[in-house]
Amino acid sequence: MWLDKYCDFDTVIHNWEPRVKIIGLMTLIFTFAFISTLKLIPFIVVISLSVYLLSGLPFSFLFSRLRIPGFFLIIMLVLLVFISKGTVLFKLGPLAVKEEGLLSSLLIGGRFLSILTLIIVLFGTSSFTENIKAMRSLGLPVIFADMMTFTYRYFFEISKDLSNMSHSMSLRGFKPMNYKELPTLASMTGTIFVRSFDQSERVFSAMTIRGYGQVMTFRNNTKIYPRDIALLLIALAFSLALIITQLYLKN
Amino acid sequence: MHVPDGILPGSVVIAGYAVTGMAAYISLKNINKKENPREDIPKASILTAAFLVASLIHVPIPPVSVHLALNGIMGVLLGYYAFPAIIISLFFQAVLFGHGGLTTLGINSVILGLPAFISFFIYNNSKSFVKGNRFRLGLVGFVVGGLALGLSVLIFFLILVNFIPANIDVVAEKQAIYTLSIAHIPLVIIEGIFTAFLFIYLKKVQPRLMGLDEKVSN
Repeated sequence: MWLDKYCDFDTVIHNWEPRVKIIGLMTLIFTFAFISTLKLIPFIVVISLSVYLLSGLPFSFLFSRLRIPGFFLIIMLVLLVFISKGTVLFKLGPLAVKEEGLLSSLLIGGRFLSILTLIIVLFGTSSFTENIKAMRSLGLPVIFADMMTFTYRYFFEISKDLSNMSHSMSLRGFKPMNYKELPTLASMTGTIFVRSFDQSERVFSAMTIRGYGQVMTFRNNTKIYPRDIALLLIALAFSLALIITQLYLKN
Repeated sequence: MHVPDGILPGSVVIAGYAVTGMAAYISLKNINKKENPREDIPKASILTAAFLVASLIHVPIPPVSVHLALNGIMGVLLGYYAFPAIIISLFFQAVLFGHGGLTTLGINSVILGLPAFISFFIYNNSKSFVKGNRFRLGLVGFVVGGLALGLSVLIFFLILVNFIPANIDVVAEKQAIYTLSIAHIPLVIIEGIFTAFLFIYLKKVQPRLMGLDEKVSN
Protein backbone atom coordinates (compact mmCIF):
# COMPACT_ATOMS: atom_id res chain seq x y z
CA MET A 1 0.00 0.00 0.00
CA TRP A 2 2.98 2.31 0.56
CA LEU A 3 3.14 4.87 -2.19
CA ASP A 4 6.81 5.54 -2.06
CA LYS A 5 8.32 2.07 -1.68
CA TYR A 6 10.36 2.55 -4.88
CA CYS A 7 11.37 6.18 -4.21
CA ASP A 8 15.06 5.41 -3.67
CA PHE A 9 15.82 4.40 -7.29
CA ASP A 10 18.41 6.42 -9.21
CA THR A 11 16.65 7.48 -12.42
CA VAL A 12 16.16 10.78 -14.20
CA ILE A 13 12.57 11.00 -12.87
CA HIS A 14 13.59 10.09 -9.30
CA ASN A 15 16.30 12.77 -9.38
CA TRP A 16 13.91 15.42 -10.72
CA GLU A 17 13.50 18.09 -8.00
CA PRO A 18 10.06 17.43 -6.37
CA ARG A 19 8.71 21.00 -6.73
CA VAL A 20 9.57 21.15 -10.42
CA LYS A 21 8.38 17.56 -10.91
CA ILE A 22 4.98 18.39 -9.39
CA ILE A 23 4.55 21.40 -11.71
CA GLY A 24 5.71 19.48 -14.79
CA LEU A 25 3.72 16.27 -14.25
CA MET A 26 0.58 18.04 -12.95
CA THR A 27 0.59 20.24 -16.09
CA LEU A 28 0.73 17.10 -18.21
CA ILE A 29 -1.98 15.40 -16.11
CA PHE A 30 -4.39 18.35 -16.49
CA THR A 31 -3.57 18.64 -20.20
CA PHE A 32 -4.52 14.97 -20.57
CA ALA A 33 -7.81 15.69 -18.76
CA PHE A 34 -8.58 18.32 -21.42
CA ILE A 35 -7.97 15.98 -24.38
CA SER A 36 -11.27 15.40 -26.14
CA THR A 37 -10.02 14.24 -29.55
CA LEU A 38 -9.65 10.50 -29.99
CA LYS A 39 -6.75 10.95 -32.45
CA LEU A 40 -4.59 12.33 -29.60
CA ILE A 41 -5.24 9.41 -27.24
CA PRO A 42 -2.43 7.18 -28.64
CA PHE A 43 0.00 10.11 -28.14
CA ILE A 44 -0.90 10.68 -24.50
CA VAL A 45 -0.73 6.94 -23.79
CA VAL A 46 2.75 6.81 -25.36
CA ILE A 47 3.89 9.93 -23.43
CA SER A 48 2.71 8.53 -20.08
CA LEU A 49 4.17 5.06 -20.69
CA SER A 50 7.50 6.65 -21.77
CA VAL A 51 7.60 8.64 -18.52
CA TYR A 52 6.81 5.43 -16.63
CA LEU A 53 9.65 3.57 -18.42
CA LEU A 54 12.03 6.45 -17.62
CA SER A 55 11.05 6.23 -13.95
CA GLY A 56 12.19 2.59 -13.82
CA LEU A 57 9.18 1.62 -11.65
CA PRO A 58 8.20 -2.04 -12.09
CA PHE A 59 5.15 -2.69 -14.30
CA SER A 60 3.71 -5.01 -11.62
CA PHE A 61 3.39 -1.85 -9.46
CA LEU A 62 1.39 -0.11 -12.21
CA PHE A 63 -0.89 -3.14 -12.74
CA SER A 64 -1.54 -3.53 -9.01
CA ARG A 65 -2.59 0.15 -8.87
CA LEU A 66 -4.79 -0.15 -11.96
CA ARG A 67 -6.73 -3.18 -10.74
CA ILE A 68 -9.36 -1.55 -8.50
CA PRO A 69 -10.18 1.63 -10.46
CA GLY A 70 -9.88 -0.32 -13.72
CA PHE A 71 -12.67 -2.67 -12.63
CA PHE A 72 -15.14 0.20 -12.03
CA LEU A 73 -14.11 1.89 -15.26
CA ILE A 74 -14.47 -1.22 -17.43
CA ILE A 75 -18.06 -1.71 -16.21
CA MET A 76 -18.85 1.92 -17.04
CA LEU A 77 -17.17 1.83 -20.44
CA VAL A 78 -18.99 -1.37 -21.42
CA LEU A 79 -22.30 0.27 -20.39
CA LEU A 80 -21.45 3.36 -22.47
CA VAL A 81 -20.95 1.23 -25.59
CA PHE A 82 -24.57 0.07 -25.33
CA ILE A 83 -26.50 3.06 -23.93
CA SER A 84 -25.02 5.73 -26.20
CA LYS A 85 -27.07 7.23 -29.00
CA GLY A 86 -25.81 6.78 -32.58
CA THR A 87 -24.88 4.40 -35.37
CA VAL A 88 -25.30 0.70 -34.64
CA LEU A 89 -22.08 -1.16 -35.47
CA PHE A 90 -23.35 -4.67 -34.72
CA LYS A 91 -25.77 -6.45 -32.39
CA LEU A 92 -25.05 -8.77 -29.50
CA GLY A 93 -28.41 -10.43 -28.95
CA PRO A 94 -30.83 -7.71 -27.76
CA LEU A 95 -27.96 -5.23 -27.22
CA ALA A 96 -26.64 -2.93 -29.96
CA VAL A 97 -23.01 -1.82 -29.97
CA LYS A 98 -22.96 1.89 -30.93
CA GLU A 99 -20.06 3.50 -32.78
CA GLU A 100 -20.24 6.73 -30.74
CA GLY A 101 -20.31 4.76 -27.50
CA LEU A 102 -17.27 2.75 -28.53
CA LEU A 103 -15.33 5.92 -29.45
CA SER A 104 -16.28 7.60 -26.15
CA SER A 105 -15.15 4.51 -24.24
CA LEU A 106 -11.77 4.54 -26.01
CA LEU A 107 -11.36 8.27 -25.27
CA ILE A 108 -12.22 7.87 -21.57
CA GLY A 109 -10.19 4.66 -21.16
CA GLY A 110 -7.10 6.19 -22.81
CA ARG A 111 -7.28 9.35 -20.70
CA PHE A 112 -7.78 7.33 -17.53
CA LEU A 113 -4.79 5.06 -18.23
CA SER A 114 -2.49 7.99 -19.08
CA ILE A 115 -3.48 10.12 -16.08
CA LEU A 116 -3.22 7.26 -13.58
CA THR A 117 0.19 6.25 -14.95
CA LEU A 118 1.54 9.78 -14.41
CA ILE A 119 0.02 9.97 -10.91
CA ILE A 120 1.83 6.75 -9.99
CA VAL A 121 5.10 8.20 -11.34
CA LEU A 122 4.55 11.49 -9.48
CA PHE A 123 3.95 9.92 -6.07
CA GLY A 124 6.05 6.80 -6.56
CA THR A 125 9.36 8.51 -7.36
CA SER A 126 9.69 10.88 -4.35
CA SER A 127 9.15 10.13 -0.69
CA PHE A 128 5.84 11.27 0.76
CA THR A 129 7.62 13.79 3.02
CA GLU A 130 9.47 15.30 0.05
CA ASN A 131 6.20 15.69 -1.82
CA ILE A 132 4.48 17.38 1.13
CA LYS A 133 7.44 19.76 1.57
CA ALA A 134 7.34 20.53 -2.16
CA MET A 135 3.59 21.17 -2.08
CA ARG A 136 4.06 23.39 0.98
CA SER A 137 6.72 25.41 -0.92
CA LEU A 138 4.31 25.71 -3.84
CA GLY A 139 1.70 27.36 -1.61
CA LEU A 140 -0.28 24.54 0.04
CA PRO A 141 -1.82 26.09 3.20
CA VAL A 142 -0.10 25.03 6.43
CA ILE A 143 -3.32 23.46 7.78
CA PHE A 144 -3.53 21.15 4.75
CA ALA A 145 0.20 20.30 4.88
CA ASP A 146 0.03 19.44 8.59
CA MET A 147 -3.18 17.45 8.21
CA MET A 148 -1.77 15.47 5.29
CA THR A 149 1.40 14.61 7.18
CA PHE A 150 -0.47 13.49 10.32
CA THR A 151 -3.08 11.56 8.36
CA TYR A 152 -0.40 9.64 6.44
CA ARG A 153 1.52 9.03 9.67
CA TYR A 154 -1.50 7.62 11.57
CA PHE A 155 -3.36 5.88 8.75
CA PHE A 156 -1.16 2.77 8.88
CA GLU A 157 -1.25 2.66 12.68
CA ILE A 158 -5.05 2.90 12.84
CA SER A 159 -5.32 0.30 10.02
CA LYS A 160 -3.31 -2.06 12.20
CA ASP A 161 -5.65 -1.32 15.15
CA LEU A 162 -8.68 -2.14 13.02
CA SER A 163 -7.06 -5.33 11.81
CA ASN A 164 -6.31 -6.39 15.42
CA MET A 165 -9.87 -5.55 16.51
CA SER A 166 -11.40 -7.52 13.60
CA HIS A 167 -9.13 -10.46 14.41
CA SER A 168 -10.06 -10.38 18.11
CA MET A 169 -13.77 -10.15 17.28
CA SER A 170 -13.60 -13.07 14.86
CA LEU A 171 -11.74 -15.15 17.48
CA ARG A 172 -14.70 -14.48 19.80
CA GLY A 173 -17.10 -15.78 17.16
CA PHE A 174 -18.19 -12.55 15.43
CA LYS A 175 -18.89 -13.07 11.74
CA PRO A 176 -20.55 -10.13 9.96
CA MET A 177 -22.94 -12.08 7.75
CA ASN A 178 -25.97 -9.78 7.52
CA TYR A 179 -27.40 -6.37 8.39
CA LYS A 180 -28.27 -7.55 11.94
CA GLU A 181 -24.60 -7.04 12.80
CA LEU A 182 -24.86 -3.29 12.10
CA PRO A 183 -24.88 -2.23 15.80
CA THR A 184 -21.69 -4.25 16.44
CA LEU A 185 -19.99 -2.82 13.35
CA ALA A 186 -21.07 0.69 14.41
CA SER A 187 -19.58 0.09 17.88
CA MET A 188 -16.33 -1.14 16.27
CA THR A 189 -16.18 2.00 14.10
CA GLY A 190 -17.02 4.13 17.13
CA THR A 191 -14.18 2.49 19.08
CA ILE A 192 -11.75 3.47 16.30
CA PHE A 193 -12.95 7.10 16.54
CA VAL A 194 -12.79 7.17 20.35
CA ARG A 195 -9.29 5.65 20.44
CA SER A 196 -8.13 8.07 17.72
CA PHE A 197 -9.64 11.02 19.60
CA ASP A 198 -7.91 10.03 22.86
CA GLN A 199 -4.65 9.48 20.98
CA SER A 200 -4.94 12.90 19.28
CA GLU A 201 -5.16 14.60 22.67
CA ARG A 202 -1.97 12.84 23.85
CA VAL A 203 -0.22 13.64 20.55
CA PHE A 204 -1.20 17.32 20.76
CA SER A 205 0.12 17.62 24.32
CA ALA A 206 3.40 15.92 23.36
CA MET A 207 3.78 18.15 20.31
CA THR A 208 2.99 21.35 22.21
CA ILE A 209 5.79 20.54 24.66
CA ARG A 210 8.13 20.22 21.64
CA GLY A 211 7.11 23.62 20.29
CA TYR A 212 4.30 22.77 17.86
CA GLY A 213 2.10 25.76 17.01
CA GLN A 214 4.85 28.36 17.39
CA VAL A 215 5.29 30.78 14.50
CA MET A 216 8.05 29.49 12.26
CA THR A 217 9.27 30.22 8.79
CA PHE A 218 9.28 27.40 6.30
CA ARG A 219 12.24 26.96 3.95
CA ASN A 220 12.77 24.30 1.35
CA ASN A 221 16.51 23.77 0.98
CA THR A 222 16.54 21.50 -2.06
CA LYS A 223 18.32 23.02 -5.06
CA ILE A 224 16.91 23.31 -8.54
CA TYR A 225 19.45 22.37 -11.23
CA PRO A 226 19.36 23.17 -14.97
CA ARG A 227 18.41 19.53 -15.72
CA ASP A 228 15.26 19.96 -13.56
CA ILE A 229 14.27 23.03 -15.59
CA ALA A 230 15.06 21.17 -18.84
CA LEU A 231 12.69 18.33 -17.84
CA LEU A 232 10.02 20.89 -16.89
CA LEU A 233 10.38 22.62 -20.27
CA ILE A 234 10.00 19.26 -22.06
CA ALA A 235 6.79 18.55 -20.09
CA LEU A 236 5.44 22.05 -20.82
CA ALA A 237 6.36 21.71 -24.52
CA PHE A 238 4.40 18.41 -24.76
CA SER A 239 1.41 20.01 -23.02
CA LEU A 240 1.46 23.02 -25.34
CA ALA A 241 1.87 20.81 -28.42
CA LEU A 242 -1.12 18.68 -27.35
CA ILE A 243 -3.32 21.73 -26.73
CA ILE A 244 -2.38 23.37 -30.07
CA THR A 245 -2.92 20.08 -31.96
CA GLN A 246 -6.31 19.62 -30.32
CA LEU A 247 -7.38 23.16 -31.24
CA TYR A 248 -6.14 22.59 -34.81
CA LEU A 249 -7.96 19.25 -35.15
CA LYS A 250 -11.20 20.72 -33.77
CA ASN A 251 -11.14 23.57 -36.25
CA MET B 1 -19.03 7.37 -5.08
CA HIS B 2 -15.74 8.47 -6.59
CA VAL B 3 -15.39 9.77 -10.13
CA PRO B 4 -12.16 8.34 -11.59
CA ASP B 5 -9.64 10.31 -13.66
CA GLY B 6 -10.29 10.72 -17.37
CA ILE B 7 -14.07 10.41 -17.26
CA LEU B 8 -15.14 14.04 -17.10
CA PRO B 9 -14.26 16.81 -19.56
CA GLY B 10 -11.60 19.36 -18.56
CA SER B 11 -14.08 22.21 -18.01
CA VAL B 12 -16.05 20.17 -15.43
CA VAL B 13 -12.80 19.17 -13.71
CA ILE B 14 -11.81 22.85 -13.41
CA ALA B 15 -15.32 23.82 -12.21
CA GLY B 16 -15.03 21.12 -9.52
CA TYR B 17 -11.73 22.59 -8.35
CA ALA B 18 -13.26 26.10 -8.32
CA VAL B 19 -16.16 25.04 -6.06
CA THR B 20 -13.82 22.99 -3.85
CA GLY B 21 -11.39 25.92 -3.62
CA MET B 22 -14.22 28.19 -2.50
CA ALA B 23 -15.51 25.70 0.10
CA ALA B 24 -11.94 25.09 1.37
CA TYR B 25 -11.41 28.86 1.62
CA ILE B 26 -14.59 29.24 3.72
CA SER B 27 -13.49 26.35 5.95
CA LEU B 28 -9.95 27.73 6.43
CA LYS B 29 -11.33 31.23 7.10
CA ASN B 30 -13.51 29.86 9.91
CA ILE B 31 -10.69 27.67 11.27
CA ASN B 32 -8.30 30.67 11.28
CA LYS B 33 -10.77 32.67 13.39
CA LYS B 34 -9.74 30.49 16.35
CA GLU B 35 -7.13 31.79 18.77
CA ASN B 36 -4.80 28.89 17.90
CA PRO B 37 -5.90 27.47 14.53
CA ARG B 38 -3.33 24.63 14.72
CA GLU B 39 -4.67 23.40 18.07
CA ASP B 40 -7.26 21.08 16.52
CA ILE B 41 -5.07 19.87 13.66
CA PRO B 42 -3.84 16.66 15.39
CA LYS B 43 -7.42 15.78 16.36
CA ALA B 44 -8.78 16.52 12.87
CA SER B 45 -5.92 14.65 11.17
CA ILE B 46 -6.04 11.54 13.33
CA LEU B 47 -9.81 11.42 12.93
CA THR B 48 -9.33 11.84 9.16
CA ALA B 49 -7.03 8.81 9.24
CA ALA B 50 -9.67 6.99 11.32
CA PHE B 51 -12.36 7.86 8.73
CA LEU B 52 -10.08 6.63 5.98
CA VAL B 53 -9.67 3.33 7.84
CA ALA B 54 -13.38 3.11 8.78
CA SER B 55 -14.36 3.57 5.14
CA LEU B 56 -12.61 0.23 4.48
CA ILE B 57 -14.99 -1.67 6.80
CA HIS B 58 -17.31 -3.96 4.84
CA VAL B 59 -20.97 -3.84 5.83
CA PRO B 60 -22.75 -7.02 4.73
CA ILE B 61 -25.91 -6.55 2.68
CA PRO B 62 -26.43 -10.06 1.27
CA PRO B 63 -25.49 -11.08 -1.37
CA VAL B 64 -22.88 -8.28 -1.44
CA SER B 65 -21.00 -6.13 1.07
CA VAL B 66 -20.58 -2.36 0.82
CA HIS B 67 -18.31 0.36 2.14
CA LEU B 68 -19.82 3.30 3.97
CA ALA B 69 -19.29 6.92 2.90
CA LEU B 70 -19.39 8.33 6.49
CA ASN B 71 -19.41 11.91 5.17
CA GLY B 72 -22.38 12.83 7.41
CA ILE B 73 -20.59 11.83 10.62
CA MET B 74 -17.41 13.48 9.32
CA GLY B 75 -19.31 16.77 9.10
CA VAL B 76 -20.67 16.33 12.63
CA LEU B 77 -17.36 15.35 14.31
CA LEU B 78 -15.02 17.68 12.44
CA GLY B 79 -17.15 20.77 11.78
CA TYR B 80 -15.21 23.25 9.64
CA TYR B 81 -12.33 20.78 9.44
CA ALA B 82 -14.63 18.33 7.62
CA PHE B 83 -14.13 19.80 4.15
CA PRO B 84 -10.29 19.84 4.34
CA ALA B 85 -10.49 16.35 5.88
CA ILE B 86 -12.62 15.10 2.97
CA ILE B 87 -10.19 16.60 0.42
CA ILE B 88 -7.29 14.87 2.20
CA SER B 89 -9.17 11.55 2.51
CA LEU B 90 -10.00 11.64 -1.19
CA PHE B 91 -6.40 12.52 -2.04
CA PHE B 92 -5.16 9.49 -0.10
CA GLN B 93 -7.87 7.24 -1.50
CA ALA B 94 -6.79 8.31 -5.01
CA VAL B 95 -3.06 7.82 -4.52
CA LEU B 96 -3.11 4.86 -2.09
CA PHE B 97 -5.98 2.74 -3.40
CA GLY B 98 -6.74 4.20 -6.84
CA HIS B 99 -10.31 5.15 -5.79
CA GLY B 100 -11.26 8.43 -7.47
CA GLY B 101 -8.52 10.53 -9.00
CA LEU B 102 -6.34 13.61 -8.80
CA THR B 103 -7.93 15.57 -11.63
CA THR B 104 -11.36 14.68 -10.22
CA LEU B 105 -10.34 15.49 -6.63
CA GLY B 106 -12.27 18.78 -6.86
CA ILE B 107 -15.48 17.24 -8.15
CA ASN B 108 -15.29 14.31 -5.69
CA SER B 109 -14.78 16.76 -2.82
CA VAL B 110 -17.95 18.58 -3.91
CA ILE B 111 -19.86 15.27 -4.05
CA LEU B 112 -18.90 14.23 -0.49
CA GLY B 113 -17.97 17.57 1.10
CA LEU B 114 -21.06 19.71 0.49
CA PRO B 115 -23.41 17.12 2.10
CA ALA B 116 -20.93 16.95 5.03
CA PHE B 117 -21.31 20.72 5.49
CA ILE B 118 -25.11 20.33 5.45
CA SER B 119 -24.89 17.52 8.04
CA PHE B 120 -22.78 19.75 10.28
CA PHE B 121 -25.40 22.51 10.18
CA ILE B 122 -28.32 20.11 10.70
CA TYR B 123 -26.60 18.52 13.69
CA ASN B 124 -25.69 21.88 15.24
CA ASN B 125 -29.28 23.08 14.94
CA SER B 126 -30.78 19.88 16.30
CA LYS B 127 -28.97 19.87 19.65
CA SER B 128 -31.96 21.52 21.35
CA PHE B 129 -34.26 18.88 19.80
CA VAL B 130 -32.10 16.01 21.10
CA LYS B 131 -32.13 17.30 24.71
CA GLY B 132 -30.24 14.24 25.95
CA ASN B 133 -32.81 11.79 24.60
CA ARG B 134 -31.24 8.65 23.13
CA PHE B 135 -34.03 7.96 20.62
CA ARG B 136 -33.97 11.54 19.33
CA LEU B 137 -30.19 11.40 19.03
CA GLY B 138 -30.49 8.22 16.97
CA LEU B 139 -33.13 9.89 14.81
CA VAL B 140 -30.85 12.87 14.14
CA GLY B 141 -28.03 10.41 13.36
CA PHE B 142 -30.26 8.57 10.88
CA VAL B 143 -31.24 11.83 9.15
CA VAL B 144 -27.68 13.19 9.10
CA GLY B 145 -26.10 9.94 7.80
CA GLY B 146 -28.84 9.08 5.32
CA LEU B 147 -29.26 12.61 3.98
CA ALA B 148 -25.52 13.10 3.46
CA LEU B 149 -25.21 9.88 1.46
CA GLY B 150 -28.48 10.53 -0.40
CA LEU B 151 -27.30 13.98 -1.50
CA SER B 152 -23.89 12.60 -2.50
CA VAL B 153 -25.54 9.89 -4.62
CA LEU B 154 -27.76 12.47 -6.31
CA ILE B 155 -24.88 14.88 -7.08
CA PHE B 156 -22.71 11.96 -8.26
CA PHE B 157 -25.22 10.63 -10.77
CA LEU B 158 -26.27 14.08 -11.97
CA ILE B 159 -22.63 14.93 -12.72
CA LEU B 160 -21.86 11.57 -14.28
CA VAL B 161 -24.88 11.38 -16.54
CA ASN B 162 -24.85 15.05 -17.58
CA PHE B 163 -21.14 15.57 -18.17
CA ILE B 164 -19.80 12.23 -19.35
CA PRO B 165 -18.49 12.84 -22.90
CA ALA B 166 -20.89 10.48 -24.63
CA ASN B 167 -23.95 11.05 -26.68
CA ILE B 168 -26.37 9.34 -24.32
CA ASP B 169 -30.02 9.06 -25.25
CA VAL B 170 -32.14 11.57 -23.22
CA VAL B 171 -34.67 8.89 -22.24
CA ALA B 172 -31.85 6.48 -21.32
CA GLU B 173 -30.21 9.30 -19.34
CA LYS B 174 -33.34 9.96 -17.27
CA GLN B 175 -33.88 6.24 -16.76
CA ALA B 176 -30.25 5.83 -15.68
CA ILE B 177 -30.49 8.60 -13.03
CA TYR B 178 -33.83 7.26 -11.81
CA THR B 179 -32.75 3.60 -11.70
CA LEU B 180 -29.34 4.23 -10.15
CA SER B 181 -30.79 6.59 -7.52
CA ILE B 182 -33.51 4.07 -6.60
CA ALA B 183 -30.88 1.31 -6.42
CA HIS B 184 -29.00 3.34 -3.81
CA ILE B 185 -31.99 3.83 -1.45
CA PRO B 186 -31.15 0.67 0.58
CA LEU B 187 -27.58 1.99 0.99
CA VAL B 188 -28.90 5.36 2.15
CA ILE B 189 -31.07 3.61 4.76
CA ILE B 190 -28.16 1.39 5.90
CA GLU B 191 -25.87 4.44 6.18
CA GLY B 192 -28.59 6.23 8.20
CA ILE B 193 -29.08 3.29 10.60
CA PHE B 194 -25.32 2.84 10.96
CA THR B 195 -24.84 6.55 11.75
CA ALA B 196 -27.69 6.39 14.29
CA PHE B 197 -25.96 3.52 16.15
CA LEU B 198 -22.64 5.33 15.88
CA PHE B 199 -24.13 8.52 17.37
CA ILE B 200 -25.58 6.59 20.32
CA TYR B 201 -22.29 4.75 20.89
CA LEU B 202 -20.17 7.92 20.75
CA LYS B 203 -22.54 9.80 23.04
CA LYS B 204 -22.30 6.98 25.58
CA VAL B 205 -18.54 6.46 25.41
CA GLN B 206 -17.02 9.83 24.47
CA PRO B 207 -19.63 12.64 24.37
CA ARG B 208 -16.92 15.31 24.02
CA LEU B 209 -16.19 13.97 20.54
CA MET B 210 -19.68 15.05 19.51
CA GLY B 211 -19.49 18.39 21.24
CA LEU B 212 -22.00 17.27 23.89
CA ASP B 213 -21.46 16.74 27.58
CA GLU B 214 -24.84 15.90 29.03
CA LYS B 215 -25.88 12.32 29.78
CA VAL B 216 -28.34 10.60 27.49
CA SER B 217 -31.46 9.06 28.98
CA ASN B 218 -32.50 5.59 27.82
